[in-house]
Amino acid sequence: MSISRRVFVKSGGLALFSFGLDPLFLARAAFASYRPVPSSTALSRPILVCLFQRGAVDGLNMIVPHGDPLYYRERPRIAVPERDVVDLDGYFGLHPRLAALKPLWDSKRLAAIHAVGSPDATRSHFDAQDYMESGTPGVKATPDGWLNRYCQHDREHQDTPFRAVAFGPELPRILAGTAPSLAIGDLQAFGLRAPQPAARDRLTRAFEELYAGSATGLLSASSQEAFEAVQTLKRVDPTQYQPANGADYPRGKLGKAMLEIAQLIKADAGLQVAFADVTGWDTHVNQGASEGQLAARLAELAQTLTAFARDLGDRLENVVVLTMSEFGRTVRENGNSGTDHGHATAMLVLGGPVNGGRVLGAWPGLDPANRFEGRDVAVTTDFRDLFAEVLARHLGARDLSAIFPGFIPDPARFPGALSA
Amino acid sequence: MKSLVLRLLAIVAAWPPAVGAQPAAPLQSPLTPRDSAWHALNRLAYGPRPGEIERVAAGGVLRWIDAQLAPDKIDDETVAKREREFDVLKYDRGDLARLYAEVQRARQERKRMGEIAADKPDDSPVAMKGRRFAAQFQQLAVVRAALSERQLYEVMVDFWTNHFNVYFAKGADRFLTPDYVEHTIRPHAMGRFEDLLIATAKSPAMLFYLDNWESVAPGAALPFPLSARRRGGQGVRTGINENYARELLELHTLGVDGGYGQHDVIDVARIFTGWSIRRPQQGADFEFHDWAHDTGDKQVLDIEFERGHGMDEGIRLLKLLANHPATTHHISRQLCQRFVNDDPPDGCVDDAVAAWQRSRGDIREVLRAIFHGPDFWAAANVRAKVKTPLEFVVSAARAVDAEPDTTPRLAQVVARLGEPLYLHVAPDGYPEREEAWVNSGALLDRMNAAVALAAGRLPGASVSPDSVVPATADPERLIASIDAGILGGTMSDNTRRVIRNQLSDINDAVQARALAVGLAIGGPEFQRQ
Repeated sequence: MSISRRVFVKSGGLALFSFGLDPLFLARAAFASYRPVPSSTALSRPILVCLFQRGAVDGLNMIVPHGDPLYYRERPRIAVPERDVVDLDGYFGLHPRLAALKPLWDSKRLAAIHAVGSPDATRSHFDAQDYMESGTPGVKATPDGWLNRYCQHDREHQDTPFRAVAFGPELPRILAGTAPSLAIGDLQAFGLRAPQPAARDRLTRAFEELYAGSATGLLSASSQEAFEAVQTLKRVDPTQYQPANGADYPRGKLGKAMLEIAQLIKADAGLQVAFADVTGWDTHVNQGASEGQLAARLAELAQTLTAFARDLGDRLENVVVLTMSEFGRTVRENGNSGTDHGHATAMLVLGGPVNGGRVLGAWPGLDPANRFEGRDVAVTTDFRDLFAEVLARHLGARDLSAIFPGFIPDPARFPGALSA
Repeated sequence: MKSLVLRLLAIVAAWPPAVGAQPAAPLQSPLTPRDSAWHALNRLAYGPRPGEIERVAAGGVLRWIDAQLAPDKIDDETVAKREREFDVLKYDRGDLARLYAEVQRARQERKRMGEIAADKPDDSPVAMKGRRFAAQFQQLAVVRAALSERQLYEVMVDFWTNHFNVYFAKGADRFLTPDYVEHTIRPHAMGRFEDLLIATAKSPAMLFYLDNWESVAPGAALPFPLSARRRGGQGVRTGINENYARELLELHTLGVDGGYGQHDVIDVARIFTGWSIRRPQQGADFEFHDWAHDTGDKQVLDIEFERGHGMDEGIRLLKLLANHPATTHHISRQLCQRFVNDDPPDGCVDDAVAAWQRSRGDIREVLRAIFHGPDFWAAANVRAKVKTPLEFVVSAARAVDAEPDTTPRLAQVVARLGEPLYLHVAPDGYPEREEAWVNSGALLDRMNAAVALAAGRLPGASVSPDSVVPATADPERLIASIDAGILGGTMSDNTRRVIRNQLSDINDAVQARALAVGLAIGGPEFQRQ
């Protein structure tokens, strides 16, 4: 099953690649207001990209409840003024520096979930990130991450070295575990290193022969994957990559990571699950309103996501980007024109399969009586319900309780980011 | 090095092989003395250094093992000298605590001025110093593993540091971890398990890592006003925190199937209420808070802990756990997994448990039982394990007699291969099974590290391969010395053929050696132990 599927996908990918040379068509496909019928053929291999905003993003200034006077009362110095908010539905709106995402919202490829978070009350970055990545709030001893457990339980795609990739120097908690997963610090440097291409090829061949002839067990399987990956990348040639459709990724680690993810997707390298993270969200001091610290981070996020969508063109039809952050921030601004550690936050879901153009999740409001511990936005959507929905409806995961042990994901609680 | 040679010569002279009190080679082993030495040097040590296989084989491998079981009697001046280059060791916990407090203060100040976002890297001189110390401390582990004559001791330090895992990057553990390794783990690594367990329970690093320092009896009255800011703006937590209690039972002692329930976890947590730490400005020492301790009745594993006790009931509990049958089985199994096979044979575990009971948890006796048991020497368990990232890097350095410097370069290679030192975030430590670290990306990185090391291009390690593989233009001689010196005679025909082919068009003897050694260390045989 898996082999025939893979050959199928690869040849289909080639066809797409030649199709993809028409930038006008792609631009239209990516930003048109209609939704093309998802193809059931080669294009249908789904891909999930998880983007972790480390440091706890202020959900209230990302997806702004500008329709609530309490928002303005609690944040006299850092609220986004009504006139600057990019309205979404009359009550919520985008931070102005996220305005670039509005076309994706309008074409229903972007949804937001508000008041989402962890059932665990911790306000420690360390613990909360740990729980969000292990997928087991309150349980520290979980050895692996939920993305890795997904890979363990859905073995259909196990056959490519680029199936699960984290972009960064070390494998993050979310991908730790027994299923093969790669941490790539720099796609261009992946593989054997040598000063000249000829020397590198020779070294690669020599090691390939060594392992093909003498390795046993897991060493044998992993080395085969490794050399297959090197071959794939040689074909892709990351040094020559040009983003399509004039996509303009911002400089910096986030832009580079998402560019490399787009590259692997378009190269049909077998990518199914990708992870990247971005820091800078822990805005205790001088957070800013329409401009300032948080605004700058949001601008980078928006530019990255729009570049990614534009670059992917119609490949976005099979891709879902899910943002996450360990918790939200206090409703009320603090004495330093910033916000302290809170509880629920907002997350974004972007991509072709997304049931977008809506702010999802039950909104508990900002009334102090409804707040968590009297101060923070209450969690009405357990993050596992959102993650489980994406795994089930996008990647086709079946055994959700094995991926989130101790939790019984219930489709009735899914926030509805993707169509059933 | 010289002193070791002399010592071994002395041992050989004093107890000629075959007439000593113990057999010089393992009984019933199909292994030759050389193979036995190679096996023992891979498991009890971080791989052989040039000439070491011959020395251990000549002196008798069991004698070498017994010597390793008494590390205090092994002279280790080389490492002692190198340790003096590591500034971080000149700072005690109080010094590091004050440095940490200074970093925090400077950071708060800059945050107040709006100069940095709270999760942006802090480039102030004092913060840089803190980071330099952290990197230096990681490198120190590599230097000790590579150069120490007390190899088994260093392996056990690694084992226990991983068993009683803390996370170097969590808040105060940034400065508590060096003290933890130096003064909690190292003094007890080859002593009694009970002492080690109590030391970890009282260690500020563990109390902070698993949150026990803020575990307070429900309803306890604070003896002083505690502002919310002092707890990092997170609000004051009252009530018990179960984290340490749960991991103590599940990971440190009984094991996940050790026969305890949630009510045990809660009562263990209540027993440890009040086990806390002083503020960093005051040195962050262990401190027992009477006011925070739950003095009520408790019951753990059906044993009564009557009301009215203080810190003493925690010590009583730790002693009980240390010698509980579930604990002896759990840890014996882990030791067999480390030293014998990822799937530890039952016989090995039984031998270890019996030795544990005989010796009341003397770690040396448990190890001795494992190394003298038939499973350790069984052919099925030789080369049955894949080296961990640390084992690979250190064994490669030792194979070519590389001298690691104080820069964190080799520690960075260990990190790139997937297991950065002291940075496993979850309390279970790095897994002992090969699935956790054998993957395609890490394998390619091993090959790259091997090629760089062999060519003398790996920064941070000066290589002197002449003593193990003399440069020669004769491929057959080169291959033979690599097989004997680096692969312990395990080179496969395929590896021989591939290296021979690669050498066919290289005339420069030094270049040829670099390539051949790189292929051997990066190749499949060297990954195994």
